[in-house]
Amino acid sequence: MKNEEEKIGWLRKVGRMMRLEFDLIRRDEAVIIFFVLLAIVYPPLYSLIYNPEVVRDEAVVVVDDDRSELSRRFTRDLDASPDVWVKDYATSMDQARDMMARKQCYGIVYFPAGLEKEVQRGHQGHVSLYCDMGVMMRYKAMLTALTSVQMETCSRLQSEKVHGLISLDGGLVESRQVPLGNTSMGIASAVLPFILVYVLQQGMMLGISMIHAGSMGRRRRNKGVDRLDDVHAGPGAMLVGKAMVHLIYYFLPAIFALHIVPLLFKFPMNGDVVELFLLMVPFLLASSFMSQVMRIFVNNREGVFLVLAFTSLIFVFLTGVSWPHYQMKPYWVLASEMIPGYWASTAYVQMQVCGASLSQVGHMYIALWVLVGVYFVIAYLVEAFVLRPRYKAMQLESELDPEALQKHTLYQMGDDNLDDPELLEDDEDEE
Amino acid sequence: MFRIIVNSVFRGWKQMTRRPIYVCMMVIVPLLSAWFFFDLMEDGVVKRTPVGLVDLDKSDLSRNLTRNLSAFPQVSIKNTYDNYNDALDAVQRGEIYGFFFIPSDFSTKALSNKKPTLSYYINYAYFAPGSMQFKGFKTLSVLANGGIVSSVLTSVGMPHEMVSATLQPIVTHVHALKNPWLSYNYYLSSSFVPCLLALLVMLVTVFSIGMEWHAGTSRNWMRTAGNSIALATFTKLFPQTFIFSAVGLWIQYMMYSIYGFPLNCNPWNMIIAMFLLVVACQGFALFICSLVPNFRYASTICTLLGMLSFSFCGFSLPEEAMYSWVEPLGFLMPIKYYFKINIDQALNGVDLYYSRYYYVMLIAYCVLPVTMLWRLKKNCLDPFYIP
Repeated sequence: MKNEEEKIGWLRKVGRMMRLEFDLIRRDEAVIIFFVLLAIVYPPLYSLIYNPEVVRDEAVVVVDDDRSELSRRFTRDLDASPDVWVKDYATSMDQARDMMARKQCYGIVYFPAGLEKEVQRGHQGHVSLYCDMGVMMRYKAMLTALTSVQMETCSRLQSEKVHGLISLDGGLVESRQVPLGNTSMGIASAVLPFILVYVLQQGMMLGISMIHAGSMGRRRRNKGVDRLDDVHAGPGAMLVGKAMVHLIYYFLPAIFALHIVPLLFKFPMNGDVVELFLLMVPFLLASSFMSQVMRIFVNNREGVFLVLAFTSLIFVFLTGVSWPHYQMKPYWVLASEMIPGYWASTAYVQMQVCGASLSQVGHMYIALWVLVGVYFVIAYLVEAFVLRPRYKAMQLESELDPEALQKHTLYQMGDDNLDDPELLEDDEDEE
Repeated sequence: MFRIIVNSVFRGWKQMTRRPIYVCMMVIVPLLSAWFFFDLMEDGVVKRTPVGLVDLDKSDLSRNLTRNLSAFPQVSIKNTYDNYNDALDAVQRGEIYGFFFIPSDFSTKALSNKKPTLSYYINYAYFAPGSMQFKGFKTLSVLANGGIVSSVLTSVGMPHEMVSATLQPIVTHVHALKNPWLSYNYYLSSSFVPCLLALLVMLVTVFSIGMEWHAGTSRNWMRTAGNSIALATFTKLFPQTFIFSAVGLWIQYMMYSIYGFPLNCNPWNMIIAMFLLVVACQGFALFICSLVPNFRYASTICTLLGMLSFSFCGFSLPEEAMYSWVEPLGFLMPIKYYFKINIDQALNGVDLYYSRYYYVMLIAYCVLPVTMLWRLKKNCLDPFYIP
């Protein structure tokens, strides 16, 4: 009987905690910025930046020492390919290098003298491409164009040559590439699905840090007590109540980022909406509890920026969006597997881009639920054994000296010696 | 006067040492992140992408082909599958990133001159593994074709030395200038790590000023500096310049010396660029603070621009491929010029003359805030803090 009453009491605490959390979020515009605006503004912004997907018409110059029909045709074909634009001819390699240094082009195609003669004599002819390596995608575009023109030219020359011997039109074996999922093979459709998930996690982490920073500010001003926190819930009820609110708050931003943005920017959408939604539940819960753990690093508003600076880049690379997960060192693999965003973004990509069902990425789904449990336990310990003693210490400190907390701020600003007579004298001198 | 300077510098120094957050943001975060990047991508090139194999032919010819595939460094055959659906399922589960498909009529068609088709399926949801598989699979198909054609040509009596010229009358040589290893680390880390440093410089600058408003001590700050805004900002920011430059130089040392990134210019060109980058970012942030004298807005602007710099400065998608209205945004940020200097000087080693504008732009950012300092002063003497 008693047990049941306690249970009801616990649920009531959770309910009141939820109301408090709603209130705290609504009060603080910075939290709204992170919770809602970040999820609404960043995904379209990133999508717009990367939306061109591929490099088209990369500028190259041609140095043609052969001046033959073959080299001219090769150049024409190169110019006609979508990836490369033959901007100009240079008279020498020196001139071409100078143009490259001036960024008038990013590649040089070189035909040595005697190319056509070599080929006609039945030997191999050599064509060179020099690429600026400042940005990999330029190199990729030039390489693709050159390779495809080379193959066309080769099969044309072959069929001219062995005509009559055997029919060898373009080789005996054909090959074709079939891109799966990301059929445009572009950068936006490869990078953005990871980023979309990751933005949700970051927004939540920063928002929750911000709520905590606000509470710490109130504690500093009010003798270590947060006046708004009138619930006095235990750590468990508090964490659950807050997480529920975060889940509710993220419902719309998650739908926007994960469904509407791909729709607007024509990213691959092969996932089942309901299953994607199911995937988001443990992800958002795990993110919420992980953020509650991160509060340990946040004592004031600047602490939020510390969290931002430290996690923003490292977390996104740990998802494996640039450097693949299978080639990471074991300790980085371990680190990434502790981040909900890694599992969620990988599962999201597999589902949304490659068309996997939730059961096919089942192990990732389970991993997310495991993280929910793990982070709940850690967050509980942090709340009970680090944060609450910290508040207690603040209260004790201000009981001894009511102005201790304000003084601490002045101390940190280097203004602790304000009642130092010398400085005041200076002040009077000026006036 | 001398005492004012000493007091002022001393106050700035105390602020830095009394808050652990400064040590974190100025030393620990940049160094730890730099190490993270360099260590994460130390291999340089994406290798051994897990792929699958579907061989429906099971002939000598196809076995020969697959033996070749396992010799390529780009891919590693993780599993063989009995049919297309099993392989696709493995791709969707994320076990493999693509697969090579040999149809059941491959050898019969090939030997009777009927052009069979080899297919390779690549999951392009992952950019770098996708390109690597393409390279491996493409080479294999070309080899397959070559192997069969050469045996046919030899059988009809073509002399052996002419066979390869017939197969590939034109060979291309691609010279990836100064980065022939195609190292991802050299390319990505050398732009992302300085960009993170730039973000940190801007953030620290904004909140070392913003905290004066926030804590209500901006008048004390001005008073300690004898009400001179130039002295106040200089004494506050100079200790930070010193530490950030030291951290930046250490990062450069890690890159060029420990991890062997290409450095094809006089090291001083990069050292000066790093120093200018730090001061330019401070200048940029100071300018924003003067323009928008509100802690929250100034820090939001700097964070937003700093985070977006990674994307719109053209590190991965080059600037000429971007929409024409996105491209100029990149040129707003000091890091863009450092990035260009890094390519020109450290990577390509071209003459300093070609990079002159980038250095000039960095210097311009150092001077920029001077035009707006009067506004900052007004605000510090008569603060109104909007929480």
